[in-house]
Amino acid sequence: MSSLVRVELTRLRWRRAVLLLLLACLVVPALITAATLWDTRPVSAEEEAAVRAASAQEIERCERRPRQYGVRPARAETRCAEVVVGWQTSRRDLSLAGERAGAGVGVTGVLVVLLMLAATTFAGHDWNSGSMSNQLLFRPRRVRVWVAKAVAVTGLAAVVATVVSTAYWLTIWAAMRARDLPVADGSLTDSLAQGLRGAGIAAGAAFGCYALTMLLRSTVATLGVVLALGFASLFLVDALPISGEWEPLDNAAAVLRNGSSYYVDVPPSCYQQPQPTRPAEGSTCDDSRELPGWQGATYLGAGLLLVGATSVLSFRRRDVP
Amino acid sequence: MPDLAIETQGLRKEFRTRRGVRVAVADLDLAVPAGGVHGFLGPNGSGKTTTIRMLLGLARATRGTMRVLGQPVPDRLPHVVDRVGAVVESPKFSPNLTGRQNLLLLSRSIGVPDARVDAAVETVGLTGRERDRYKAFSLGMKQRLAIAATLLKEPALLILDEPTNGLDPAGIREIRETIRGLGEAGVTVLLSSHILAEVQQVCTSATIVGHGRLLASGTVDDLLGGSTVHRLVVPDPAAATAALERAGVPVTADDGDPGVLRVETEDPAAVTRLLAARDIWLSELTPLRPDLESIFLQLTADDAPGRPATTEEAAR
Repeated sequence: MSSLVRVELTRLRWRRAVLLLLLACLVVPALITAATLWDTRPVSAEEEAAVRAASAQEIERCERRPRQYGVRPARAETRCAEVVVGWQTSRRDLSLAGERAGAGVGVTGVLVVLLMLAATTFAGHDWNSGSMSNQLLFRPRRVRVWVAKAVAVTGLAAVVATVVSTAYWLTIWAAMRARDLPVADGSLTDSLAQGLRGAGIAAGAAFGCYALTMLLRSTVATLGVVLALGFASLFLVDALPISGEWEPLDNAAAVLRNGSSYYVDVPPSCYQQPQPTRPAEGSTCDDSRELPGWQGATYLGAGLLLVGATSVLSFRRRDVP
Repeated sequence: MPDLAIETQGLRKEFRTRRGVRVAVADLDLAVPAGGVHGFLGPNGSGKTTTIRMLLGLARATRGTMRVLGQPVPDRLPHVVDRVGAVVESPKFSPNLTGRQNLLLLSRSIGVPDARVDAAVETVGLTGRERDRYKAFSLGMKQRLAIAATLLKEPALLILDEPTNGLDPAGIREIRETIRGLGEAGVTVLLSSHILAEVQQVCTSATIVGHGRLLASGTVDDLLGGSTVHRLVVPDPAAATAALERAGVPVTADDGDPGVLRVETEDPAAVTRLLAARDIWLSELTPLRPDLESIFLQLTADDAPGRPATTEEAAR
């Protein structure tokens, strides 16, 4: 089995389309990181001076009519410059907690999509070129072939996603240290843990796409089904009277964030009576429910198990062209 | 090594289609003796490739039993696959990989040293081109690469489906010589081919199928049969005809040449003596052996090319 996995890893390494997608897995998160660092860069003295010079008229107007700018007339001489320059140079501070809900999710999303594409491209090529039958003429134990390919695809996706996620969070942490920003206790650990959970989702998505491609025997068909499922699940969950806990994206978010919440419909009476405070958690009028991470993982894992089992059984039984 | 390299009994393959069930192989009993080159003949759609694909585990038989190198397949196929090389239909490799990379992936999957790839490449005459991308190969080069892949295993049984397709005349001759040489070296070769002259030249035995059924099987000599019809050339055909008819020997004039007769006899020496006794001196007496093509056409006369083997739509 290990020799088969090595062969499949070599096959992955020699596939140019897969290599390009793996390269994108490095480049796109690097661009996201660069954009995050740029958007949160500290304001330099030169930049502040330049803005102050460019906003001289605005500062002057503020000093003439300070109340329009929310400045007390007594402090207009000092505050107007701060207010006007502050408007034009205000940026959010870099923080691990902020990125866990922001660009960190984006990095995971990018990795998921790119690694899904890599998996389906890899498996689809074997069917498209007809080389699958050639491979089976050398290794006829089909389940082993399926498993070896699955291990190679999923393992590679896990390694790439883990390395990229970890690099992203360590870069953010290092930038905060370099900018003398406070790092809350455990914040880096939480971020790295989210990165690992994201890598798990990316590896699972790659496995799912691989299994689906081995079932449908076509990259195009797989991408079509994935897109259709994505749209249909969003639409159906909204249209049908089923809870948001069955929404794939909510479950993925629950895994990534180690728990999230989803909205439920509440009786109209909840809106008719004045609600002075937030309804008690879990009460009839509480429109938010907690979705624990384990529940999301169970939901997604069951889906992957179903697709994987169907795929391997189909590959074992069906004729190979 | 068992007596039969390939043996099938009651082998059947049905495909479900929108219009019903199509029978590609109908209760085929195939016996390929070990050693030598065995031809596998049949018109398009007669079930040859489907049979080969079932033997190699690429398609599942609807029913029937198969043995390859003495082992029941597909159950025990993994135990014999290292001794079976095959090219099924057109060569199938990854187009963006080089020829060598494609062979390396296959050789490494069975733990064969990389050096054997170079040897196989040299055997099929692809040295110098093996680092080109497969998609840049000509059809002939693709065929050679496919044959090189079969040689990676040092097979005891080689199954080749139209191996000379797309090759130039020199390439065809090389491949035929390679096949003949492999057969002489003790490798059993099952050669599926439409080129009947090729089968006649290369094969020691053959099986002819049509509609997914066995039509004839045996050594090529047996299939061609011992001929009793002879071509007779004499200076006076009328006198010869009269003499032969008086002696009770069936004789007819050749349609194309008035100076030539066709005589049906199991004892050509008697014809010579009979005519010589009447002072008729023949200048030629040649047995007319049918070629494989005429045997094939005769056996498969009701097989329209490209037509599905059998359709059992009404029954389902």
